[in-house]
Amino acid sequence: MTKKSTGLKIALSAVLCLFILVIAIRAGSVYISLRDLLGIIGGHITGRGTPADIDPMMDSIFWTIRMPRAVMAFLVGGALSVSGACMQALLQNPLASSYTLGVSSGASLGAAIVLILNISIPVLAGFMLPFAGFVFGLATVIIAILLASSIDRNVSSATVVLIGMILSLFVNGMMNLLSTLNADHSKQLILWMMGSFSARGWKHCAILFPVCIAGFVCLMLMSRKLDIMSFGDLQARAMGVDAKKTKIIAILICSLLTGVSVAFTGVIGFVDLAAPHVVRKIFGPSHRLVLPMSFIYGGAFMALCDLVSRTLLSPREIPVGAVTALIGAPFFAYVFFASRRKHI
Amino acid sequence: MILTVKNMTACYGRTEILKDISLEIRSGEKVFIGGANGSGKTTLLRVLAGIIPHRGEVLINGSDVSAMKRKAVAGLIALMPQTSEMYFPYTVYETVLLGTYASSGNPFFGSNAKDAEYAVRCMKDCGVYDLRDRHLDELSGGQLQRVLLARTFAQKAPFLFLDEPGNNLDIKYRAELCDRLNDWTCAQTGGTDNTLVAVFHDLEQARRCCRRAVMLKDGRIVFDGDINEALTRDMLLKVYDYDVSSYIMDKS
Repeated sequence: MTKKSTGLKIALSAVLCLFILVIAIRAGSVYISLRDLLGIIGGHITGRGTPADIDPMMDSIFWTIRMPRAVMAFLVGGALSVSGACMQALLQNPLASSYTLGVSSGASLGAAIVLILNISIPVLAGFMLPFAGFVFGLATVIIAILLASSIDRNVSSATVVLIGMILSLFVNGMMNLLSTLNADHSKQLILWMMGSFSARGWKHCAILFPVCIAGFVCLMLMSRKLDIMSFGDLQARAMGVDAKKTKIIAILICSLLTGVSVAFTGVIGFVDLAAPHVVRKIFGPSHRLVLPMSFIYGGAFMALCDLVSRTLLSPREIPVGAVTALIGAPFFAYVFFASRRKHI
Repeated sequence: MILTVKNMTACYGRTEILKDISLEIRSGEKVFIGGANGSGKTTLLRVLAGIIPHRGEVLINGSDVSAMKRKAVAGLIALMPQTSEMYFPYTVYETVLLGTYASSGNPFFGSNAKDAEYAVRCMKDCGVYDLRDRHLDELSGGQLQRVLLARTFAQKAPFLFLDEPGNNLDIKYRAELCDRLNDWTCAQTGGTDNTLVAVFHDLEQARRCCRRAVMLKDGRIVFDGDINEALTRDMLLKVYDYDVSSYIMDKS
């Protein structure tokens, strides 16, 4: 792949992503012209306020509802995809994802406990559910890593995947038990587990954005190590990478990215699997490109799925987790089979 | 540079693979590690390269190899493992360039022009330059083996540890491998400073590439000395429990 063609692909991807984001903001029960949208954004960013000829109602719909929602979807999609790409390299497993170590099941258990016991901490106000989800998600991963390193001093990939699966299933079992015993809350819990961007505002973005930037930058700094790690632990060590340390640090960063995302939106699957796979097909496996492009593709895909989730059966909303799988699975299958057919 | 091993023992789980190994390897030596399947050759290479844990002492210039940073060890010892797992289709060039990680001043992002230049040289030396834009999953076994050799060279380490580098190579490349290894060690430091420690299944190839032999049997060293003395009928019978000498002699 020449530098020129890579540059062109990156530019096209960026344009496509921007295009999808703009559509995701504009489309819905209320449409807005591009001029008015730019007026609203410009007004808020420069602090001059919305231009007089724009209906304040429009301003409120777009600035306080649609835009943060689209931005949130983009950030969550991006964060999940980047951690998916990273986990696949670390564990040398194309089916690994940021959920492999039980972040989502841990987060779901945390949410279930908060809902059922009706716990609230005044300082956290409306953030109790995401906070509990995040803490439990991260705790599950830390337990998984501790278990893996106690039975296997090299923390080999197979051990990590197996421990992750065992722990996920166990925690899921606990959560199912809890929700069955407390049937009143089970509907609320099921909805949380299917994921939604409904009613997510700038205050949520304000927390997610710095976490995404910090996590992304840390992983980018490790991109060369991730390339080496994707040859397996033995070769990585032979080439000078401390496989165990790299694995633990990167898994914690991925879990942080996933944990914060899941905490705000509920469990959304598939994007973390599909986006990095598609990106590798287009840009090759080098993480210097795979990480940023996974963010862009995953983010755009999630914004698109959220658009579908809120418009397809409008005014009813479909859980976005269902949409990512319904759109993503056939698309992923197509990409996978198309590339397989070439080899036969 | 000197590699010292004293009373070293290594286990996989509860099985002792290497038992009470002591040896010394100095700069410029060409050492063949021989022995039957399962005698501990690969384990020995990996322990010496600090990749798997051990009891006893393994010292590089007096420092404990397991206490050193991985990157520092990889800058001194380039190990080419026998298993070459490939999960993602990097190009040949990208793969060889990754070999410069241990010696590169830039551990984070890509690599600098010097690394790139060096990777090109290693690809040319191993005859894979023409394949540079091919993906690893499109290569034959022998081509892949040469790419991995180029990546090992790219580590710029004075100690080269090769685990069956002749695997999958046809007769031409096997013959060439010895020349490459000899040329390479001379070219890098301009002297005889570079060191080769290699496992070969082909004893004739071992004789051509190495001068010293360390023969293992059931995890213990049964011979350490001149390779010509190791490749005698009695010694081979002792190491392999089978008369393989006529097979080698016929071949040579």
